[in-house]
Amino acid sequence: MASVNVSPEPAPKRRSPSRLLMSVGYYIVLAALVIITVFPIYWMVTTAIRPATENLTYPPSLWPKSLDLEPVRRLFQDGNIGRWIINSTLLSTLVTAICVLMAIFGAYVLSMMRWRGRAVFAVFLLMTQMLPEALIIVPIYKIYTDIGLRESLYGLSLIDAAFVLPICVWVLKNMFDTVPREVREAALVDGAGPMRVLFQIVLPITLPGLVAVGVVAFFYAWNEFLFAQTMITTESSKPASVGLASMITMLDTPIERLLAAGFLFAIPPVLFYIAMQRYIIAGITAGAVKG
Amino acid sequence: MSLLNRVGTADHPGKSAPFSKTATGAQKRRFALPSLLPYALALPILAYEAYFILYPILQQIRLSFYQQPMGAAEEWAGLANYSRMLTDPSFWSVVRVSLMYLVGVVVVAIGFALASALMLNRHFRGRTVTRAVMTMPWAFPDVPTVLVFLWMLNPNFGVLNVFALWLPWVESAPNWLMDTRLAFVSIVLITAWKGFPFYSLVILAALQTVPAELSEAARVDGASKVQVFFAVTLPGIMPTLLLLTVLASIFSFKQFTIIWLLTGGGPAGATETIVIRIYNTAFRFYDFSYAAVLGVAGFVMALTVALVFLAAQRRQDLEAA
Repeated sequence: MASVNVSPEPAPKRRSPSRLLMSVGYYIVLAALVIITVFPIYWMVTTAIRPATENLTYPPSLWPKSLDLEPVRRLFQDGNIGRWIINSTLLSTLVTAICVLMAIFGAYVLSMMRWRGRAVFAVFLLMTQMLPEALIIVPIYKIYTDIGLRESLYGLSLIDAAFVLPICVWVLKNMFDTVPREVREAALVDGAGPMRVLFQIVLPITLPGLVAVGVVAFFYAWNEFLFAQTMITTESSKPASVGLASMITMLDTPIERLLAAGFLFAIPPVLFYIAMQRYIIAGITAGAVKG
Repeated sequence: MSLLNRVGTADHPGKSAPFSKTATGAQKRRFALPSLLPYALALPILAYEAYFILYPILQQIRLSFYQQPMGAAEEWAGLANYSRMLTDPSFWSVVRVSLMYLVGVVVVAIGFALASALMLNRHFRGRTVTRAVMTMPWAFPDVPTVLVFLWMLNPNFGVLNVFALWLPWVESAPNWLMDTRLAFVSIVLITAWKGFPFYSLVILAALQTVPAELSEAARVDGASKVQVFFAVTLPGIMPTLLLLTVLASIFSFKQFTIIWLLTGGGPAGATETIVIRIYNTAFRFYDFSYAAVLGVAGFVMALTVALVFLAAQRRQDLEAA
């Protein structure tokens, strides 16, 4: 990969053959990378929208030859899918409410207040964020059995929120850190109390961060499988992640239907995560990149 | 650079409380009392996390010293659960699989992420769209990921068989999830597929903070592109790569859904990480006290990983200083 042009002047317009070759190679590698990344999602959609006869042949055609949207259209008509989506929406909304409410104060004390124990608080949040859920599934299951929270979406929302709250705090803290000091000081000089500063000055200008927190919390619960699977066995209160997974072992589920349901389930998180990725990623890495 | 140093406030690090800094006399009095305010605001979170996370951890440790035969009361067991675990050969197999899985996912995911970040760091037409598209696996939920990969790996109709048979040395369609080695490789690659876009975006952000003048100057001095990468770019993003290694280790250590739904830990324990073993012990064999002891072992493993990387970070800080 010896370089041809080391002069400080801008490269000449006309490209030499070896540079052209490099550039073609670059696009080939890039295309391969994109294909590897996207192919499973493409395959999911392809399988979902074409007739079963095309899916159940080997070797399969790499693109649909004809369309059959019947499985997609019938998703909500029979089975429990509608019920599952409603359950998931309720669960995710509860988790979002808990997390947004608490994260506002957590981010505020981490970002804008100096107090003894702040570092300990930060480490505590980092530690809980890193703890694998499955490590404490047994004691949580026992506690939930004792206090009667199993089989309840409300009970499930409490434990989901406990695990996603630390990330929510970081995402919002990162956003709060961008508020100029002068803005807050001006309000303080005008006689506003700390809570008024928070709700009337800080929050309105960090609204995207608050939306990002909502997205993180909502889709954590939406995607969460371990606690949901363990705590909820009643068919009518299953959230969609557990319901979908249970379709795998139901032998009569046609593959088109299964993948159509899975894709439908995946659309909302994909859209929202990509829209809010800037804030979410900065929060998860806790500002590490800025260093 | 350590994780903890990052916890700065919005204000200049090391300066005193923003609420007392510029306050007039009257406000000073007003804010002298609210020094309790941060504690009051942090308390709900602390109490919440203490009840749902700290308390279960303590319960877990307590439980690991007890045994509970089905339907009977708990009885003190001393270190019996521990000695059972340490002398169980299948436990050490679980430890080995966990570590191999962790290393596999970290190497593949971060390697792939670095490659794609370097590719995406150039200017080309359609860059924004490509970036958004390359982010999708990260946002794709676990259960649908499993659904589509189960279908792609299907022994009869799976599309990956088609691709595998393109390879000259493959003669018959592989039975992906029934073969111990292929099953392990499959779950590593699937986890890496889902994880790498996140690392790629973080590396991309870090690449953009490496000053362009530095690499330009090196190029003017006659360094080749490869030399520039190793002398300028790589040191510039090294702290980020290290942090991502920590994050990727933790994320792969946490991974439950993908492994459990794809293989359930099989075949013959080839994909059974400690997290899967805990779940199977508790909810397939209903052996809660043994699952509790495995959970304690999981803490020890997670802490070890965290400490190794903290030490690595400290060393890097010292070298940089």
